[in-house]
Amino acid sequence: MTTTKRRESRRAQHVRGAQGARVTVRNTLIAYAFMLPFLILLVLYHTWPVFFGTYLAFTKYNIISPPEWVGLENFRTLAADSQFWAGLRNSLKYILVVPVIQLLSIAVAMLVNRPLRGIGFFRTAYYVPVVTSFAVVGLIWTWMYQQDGPVSAVLRFLGLEARGSLLNNPVTALYAVMFVTLWKGIGYYMVLYLAGLQAIGRELEEAAVIDGATRWQVFVNVTLPGLRPTILVCSLLSTISAIKVFEEIYVMTQGGPAGSTYTALFFTYSRAFVDFQYGLAAAAGLIIAVISIVFGFINFKLTRGGKADA
Amino acid sequence: MLERAASSQRPAASPTLSEIKARRRRKNLLWNALAYTVLVVIALILLYPFYWTLITSLETTGSIYEAKLLPKDVSLRNYFEVFQGTTVPFWRLIVNSLIICTLGVTLTVTLASLAAYPLAKMRFPGRDLIFYAILVLMVLPNEAGLIVNYITTIKLGLLQQTNPVLDAARQYAAVVLPGVASIVGLFLLRQAYLGVPIELIEAARIDGAKELTIWRRIMLPLALPTIVAFSILEFVAYWNSFLWARIMLPDKELMPLSAGLLELSGTFSTNSRAVMAGAVITVLPILVIFAFGQRYFMKGIEGAVKG
Repeated sequence: MTTTKRRESRRAQHVRGAQGARVTVRNTLIAYAFMLPFLILLVLYHTWPVFFGTYLAFTKYNIISPPEWVGLENFRTLAADSQFWAGLRNSLKYILVVPVIQLLSIAVAMLVNRPLRGIGFFRTAYYVPVVTSFAVVGLIWTWMYQQDGPVSAVLRFLGLEARGSLLNNPVTALYAVMFVTLWKGIGYYMVLYLAGLQAIGRELEEAAVIDGATRWQVFVNVTLPGLRPTILVCSLLSTISAIKVFEEIYVMTQGGPAGSTYTALFFTYSRAFVDFQYGLAAAAGLIIAVISIVFGFINFKLTRGGKADA
Repeated sequence: MLERAASSQRPAASPTLSEIKARRRRKNLLWNALAYTVLVVIALILLYPFYWTLITSLETTGSIYEAKLLPKDVSLRNYFEVFQGTTVPFWRLIVNSLIICTLGVTLTVTLASLAAYPLAKMRFPGRDLIFYAILVLMVLPNEAGLIVNYITTIKLGLLQQTNPVLDAARQYAAVVLPGVASIVGLFLLRQAYLGVPIELIEAARIDGAKELTIWRRIMLPLALPTIVAFSILEFVAYWNSFLWARIMLPDKELMPLSAGLLELSGTFSTNSRAVMAGAVITVLPILVIFAFGQRYFMKGIEGAVKG
């Protein structure tokens, strides 16, 4: 009884803690003064782009003259533009990365979750690609993919012959870039899954083992359901970033060869910053945003809202 | 192994406890050996490209892209070259990156830690509204961000050219400002402040302390682990960012390292090894920061997700 009472009073304190001092005009002004610099920049660089970007999608705009309202014309232009469709197709193809990266990072997280000597080194090492800039990663892999480079050596070892760089071949370029995304992202999702695994704890798994479950049964019936919230977050993050993939492409292929790595966001980029058609670019951006929201929703449904229980 | 196998062939109806233990130990040993093999293979796949770039950047002869385990010769010639042989001096890029990171991290951390205080520990009208509005912004995709922010930057006059000193200051600001209002940072710091006991704050208020003093003397020290984690995250983010700077900066002299590196690879097509040296120099500070702050860093990431 006493412990519950104590806990209750602590909770009351916590609520009061969240409330703070009395509401007075003075205190309100102080509160807003604390937030003012943050809020100004937030509105300017985060809120304003959402609204102004949506507005621009229905205009013709080149910065020099004011935006001119054109209704749905930009969307009609996009619908007739085969380059836009090609970009969209490649962006959707890029979602192939998602299941692969999720499966691999779950596997790696389970591996580094084992209490082995020196495991900390491996966890840290696997994170190195994550903290490296796409500028550097893109360059390194452009070199690695060169005709006589290490990747060709590995392919030859596997009995495959690569003629030239994989990045110069329209058939393989997109997959070569996908591999880099995978290579750079695995450590990131590994850390998230590791946090998820540690939240599950060992007790439940050990209890299942004592009850005679095999490793596979434990994984399917205990570990996987426990990871469901993490799987939702991770697959959501990686699906959205797959649809918006850009930096890898920008550094390694610039959309080529023969448009084989031309993605939707690359289309947006080149319309805006190469052709200065800001309205058209904003319309393409809006479409990508809507697609991301739809895929976010699908993810949410597939993982049943990420509820931990099966 | 053989001896142990022989000893376990004792004539016994059921295995004794020690035999079960021995068998389990052997099985464990096998699993561990397998686990280490896989761990090492993954480490090789993830780290070899960095190592390869490092050793290739140290070579001066040989076929450049060849797979190798050791450099043929070791020389710092490519490193001298990358500092000398370009139109934009490499040291200038380093200075730019340092300025951008210092400015960016200081502003981002200060603004988030200021703004999080009322959201965690004060009562005022509109608090919940502001908090939820900020959360919605975090979820909302911001595809037009690049385009509209570019337009905003121009309209704010940050790319105007008047006199060299002012131009530089404005362009640094143009690079840094769009990233300064960090929603994730606000969220992390609010979480950290929520854990600070209200008694401390109330006692200080009764003693007549101003809110700014409470923030500086109580909140900041107690939220220090989160602040350190967040600062490291932000340093890495600012150091690595290149796209925004490349899109926007008219003045190549003011580019940060990552952005300048791509410029280098364009103009330096005859000597990839020098660009590799540049890449090594670009990664090095991040690896050092990461090695020292790894603990905080991971906490920051987990906090950002669990939040």
